[in-house]
Amino acid sequence: MEKKKYEPVESVEQLEAALGRVRAAQKIYASFTQEQVDKIFLAAASAANKARIPLAQLAVEETGMGVVEDKVIKNNYAAEHIYNAYRYTKTCGVIEEDKAYGTKKIAEPIGVVAAVIPTTNPTSTAIFKALICLKTRNGIIFSPHPRAKKCTVEAAKIVLEAAVKAGAPEDIIAWIDTPSLDMTNLVMKEADIILATGGPGMVRAAYSSGKPALGVGAGNTPAIIDESADIVLAVNSIIHSKTFDNGMICASEQSVIVHDKVYDAVRNEFTARGCYLLKGDEIDKVRHTIIINGALNAKIVGQSAAKIAELAGVTVPAGTKILIGEVESVDISEEFAHEKLSPVLAMYRAKDLDDAFGKAEQLIADGGFGHTSSIYINTATGGEKLDEFEARMKTCRILINTPSSHGGIGDLYNFKLTPSLTLGCGSWGGNSVSENVGVKHLLNIKTVAERRENMLWFRAPEKVYIKKGCLPVALDELKAEMNKKRAFIVTDSFLYGAGFTKPITDKLDAMGIVHTTFFDVEPDPTLASAEAGAAQMRSFKPDVIIALGGGSAMDAAKIMWVLYEHPEADFKDMAMRFIDIRKRVYKFPKMGEKAYFVAIPTSAGTGSEVTPFAVITDQDDGCKYPLADYELLPNMAIIDTDMHMTAPKGLTAASGIDAVTHALEAYASVMATGYTDGLAIQALKAIFEYLPRAYEDGSDVEARENMANAATMAGMAFANAFLGVSHSLAHKLGAFHHIPHGIANALVICDVLRFNAAEAPVKMGTFSQYDHPHTLARYAQIADALGLGGKTDEEKLENLIAAIEELKEKIGIKKTIADYGVSEEDFLATLDEMSIQAFDDQCTGANPRYPLVSELKQLYMNAYYGKTFTDVEMPRN
Amino acid sequence: MNLDRIIAVRNTKTIYRDGDRCIKVFNSEHSKADVLNEALNLARIEETGLNIPKVIEVMTVEGKWAIVYEFINGRTLSQLIEENPDKKSEYISQLVDIQLEILSKTCPMLNKLKEKMHRKISSSSLDATTRYDLHTRLEGMPTHNKVCHGDFNPSNVVIADNGEHYILDWSHVTQGNASADAARTYLLFCLNHDEDTAKEYLHKFCEKSDTAIQYVQSWMPIVAASQSVKGNEEEQKLLHSWIHVADYM
Repeated sequence: MEKKKYEPVESVEQLEAALGRVRAAQKIYASFTQEQVDKIFLAAASAANKARIPLAQLAVEETGMGVVEDKVIKNNYAAEHIYNAYRYTKTCGVIEEDKAYGTKKIAEPIGVVAAVIPTTNPTSTAIFKALICLKTRNGIIFSPHPRAKKCTVEAAKIVLEAAVKAGAPEDIIAWIDTPSLDMTNLVMKEADIILATGGPGMVRAAYSSGKPALGVGAGNTPAIIDESADIVLAVNSIIHSKTFDNGMICASEQSVIVHDKVYDAVRNEFTARGCYLLKGDEIDKVRHTIIINGALNAKIVGQSAAKIAELAGVTVPAGTKILIGEVESVDISEEFAHEKLSPVLAMYRAKDLDDAFGKAEQLIADGGFGHTSSIYINTATGGEKLDEFEARMKTCRILINTPSSHGGIGDLYNFKLTPSLTLGCGSWGGNSVSENVGVKHLLNIKTVAERRENMLWFRAPEKVYIKKGCLPVALDELKAEMNKKRAFIVTDSFLYGAGFTKPITDKLDAMGIVHTTFFDVEPDPTLASAEAGAAQMRSFKPDVIIALGGGSAMDAAKIMWVLYEHPEADFKDMAMRFIDIRKRVYKFPKMGEKAYFVAIPTSAGTGSEVTPFAVITDQDDGCKYPLADYELLPNMAIIDTDMHMTAPKGLTAASGIDAVTHALEAYASVMATGYTDGLAIQALKAIFEYLPRAYEDGSDVEARENMANAATMAGMAFANAFLGVSHSLAHKLGAFHHIPHGIANALVICDVLRFNAAEAPVKMGTFSQYDHPHTLARYAQIADALGLGGKTDEEKLENLIAAIEELKEKIGIKKTIADYGVSEEDFLATLDEMSIQAFDDQCTGANPRYPLVSELKQLYMNAYYGKTFTDVEMPRN
Repeated sequence: MNLDRIIAVRNTKTIYRDGDRCIKVFNSEHSKADVLNEALNLARIEETGLNIPKVIEVMTVEGKWAIVYEFINGRTLSQLIEENPDKKSEYISQLVDIQLEILSKTCPMLNKLKEKMHRKISSSSLDATTRYDLHTRLEGMPTHNKVCHGDFNPSNVVIADNGEHYILDWSHVTQGNASADAARTYLLFCLNHDEDTAKEYLHKFCEKSDTAIQYVQSWMPIVAASQSVKGNEEEQKLLHSWIHVADYM
């Protein structure tokens, strides 16, 4: 066949031209389809495979190293196993798609690959690199070693010609004909990535070129033979591997470390199979032949054992397979402890397996960090020993009962290790990869991610019982369905004294459920009181907890429940701020394993009976821990208006307005859903109608009942949609100035509405569903639902604010923070700290407008001085 | 100027003593640039604060270039080792200390060691493949900027009568990697057929400088190659055995 002529590349100028040609070819190749590429890949692999023998002959002839028959295997392997491994691999365009998540992975070529080829595997490595570049639509330029340039270039040509014939652009593969350091450096500098296989010098040069490099380094593989090993298999595997291409595979065994108990047997097996154990001064002679000044003598690389013996002045039979030096030191001052790239092997006697591991560690640290280690052992009985071996070896390949030359390159003696002739050594070996290098390292993967919205949820107690007088009916279930035996009631002293627990205890008595009551809950319950309650629980061992009261009693009971079930729980951890309750760092402990939780509100507002929240105060530093987790959701809520009838006016007003803010914030929340919207709107409708009535006349059953249900509905809304900055601000007003929670919300809510309604806020909330600032429209929907009128959204917002102000007035809520007796001096002294803390409050996250601390400060000032929120000026063109 | 008293004759230069001055007269084949460069090197090293004979003037003597510098009264370390063999270890230790003192200095204007080595390798008579391997090996070596004497051996250290030490012969000074300089010293011992002292020196150097011995050894093919540019036939044999080592997988 007529040989095609190629432009010679023998100077830097010619190389620059060649690089230009490859780059141009690669640009065309980058647009090829998977089908086109696979055709080229197949053709190139087939051609390389067919040339396996001539290439092997050429390599041995040119380099004077290695064994033709073994190089045939290497060439064959580089073509066949690489083709087989990637024949179906997608490397072009969309290689992965997840429609549900809206993500795609798109593979793009890297560009031009600089491939540095070593003398030890000059044709097989060239075939390997050319194939993986073709498969990934990369161009490749080979920098051969001068000692092996002819055969490397020949391999490159064969692959190129086949590829071009199958449709690849001309010049997709190029090479340097006469290598020089300047040219190698230029190739590395100009390429887009470097595939450097070579010695430490070459690899360092690659890494220092400023281009991404996939470089690998020297190995110094120790093979341990445990006492449990199959000696015949072990020794013959090592001989097979060590003699393969005269020991030039970098994963090849350099030392055998033999357990004392089997040393003689191993020794005999080696001799019986044609290996030569060096005697007396022969060891020294070989020592000084193989290593010079700590470096490997170039003359022995890839030579036969007999040839090396001759160089050392030692006479051995011509057929000798391996020269074995029985040595003791694993220090680098021992020549045999080095990488030898030839059929010369060190053999150590280890007194036990631990000693063997220690020796292997030292050998690896001195010469083969990150490369390969191997062990022969009975895997059925050696589990723990193997675990230790795997843990101790700092090598990226750990081979078991396997010839390491064949094992390390993968797919011959194991079938999940990526087949490769470039073996990464990880950071231990100064490499960027720790795996066997493959096509994935030659691709840029683009991940395309479409916008997706968060999964939301609706969670509520499994049982919510509603109706005036339903308490005993609901409690029936504790016996009839659940067969509870011991009830622990948590309430405050007022409710206890006023006999509120009596209907419950009467019912429990009637059912034969033993009970006790903790009635020391204070407003703003402390950790200390919760601990006291929990201590009582631990001795009483209830299987049901019944919380009776307002927010304080229910929250305190929830905390006691946690402490009772999980005394080890740390409140600081539980109170850790989160962005997404489903992704939070802290895993809340599982609740309900000891006791069922029943919540019975006695006022209409808090919603705690249906929420996953509880707030507890540390009495020592006054710090409030707001806990939030669906584990804290009560199991049963009983909304019985009978329990609400005697609530005093102040409480009715404060908790009623709290429920208003729950509904308003849940509706405006970025996490609002149709499920929570319905509840929030329904709650607001009821409150606007019935709160003034319930306030005026506590005995108005209809008003009370509507309020009781409205509060629980608002609770369900914010149990799922969460709240906003009104609550953030209110929490800190309560903490710093002891303003009751509902009142504190009432003082800030109207201004928060104005703040949130801004159409061009400084920053909007971060939540996929919240696609643009649209809270004004949301408030307008509320105004519509309440029938407040107004033509524009702005008017509707003003009407809503006016309605809230009117409601507040009707139920006796004052206008400003100052009106609640907070002195200006105290207020201003705490303002900055309150603003920061409000900013960091858990409720801030769901707010549709992400507040600046300065804006929160302004909201506080407005609430103090009775002003209204105005935004900084925005450009309006 | 009194040129009656010859104290040393080398291939390319003759050194005379004139009272407390030393006159180094270069043969005519020595280029002007080399001589001036040597004087410049000396002037630069003076600025590092190292104890060296100070350059007094640069002149021509009968058409030949000459550098005049202080004469130091004392004995070289090689003389002392010869005279007191039982104290050899002490002297080697002192040699290493002095070398480390030099290596602790920087002198940004000096020639760069790696560049010089690349030049030497290129101008050697080694075959292209071997030169390629050596260039590659050298390229991968870290580039440092320590003052490297370049010909540091016991005959270039004078212990003056007052006990102070002076370092002579700065014609090969560069800035670069300390291990390269140590490898050179090791090689000089070996070329002097003193392998035992070479080993003792190397171990002491590695110990005192906390350097891995392989690291110094990795420079040996390179320094051997640069040395092979000169050197007689007998030396070439040793140098070549050092040069032909493998550094690949």
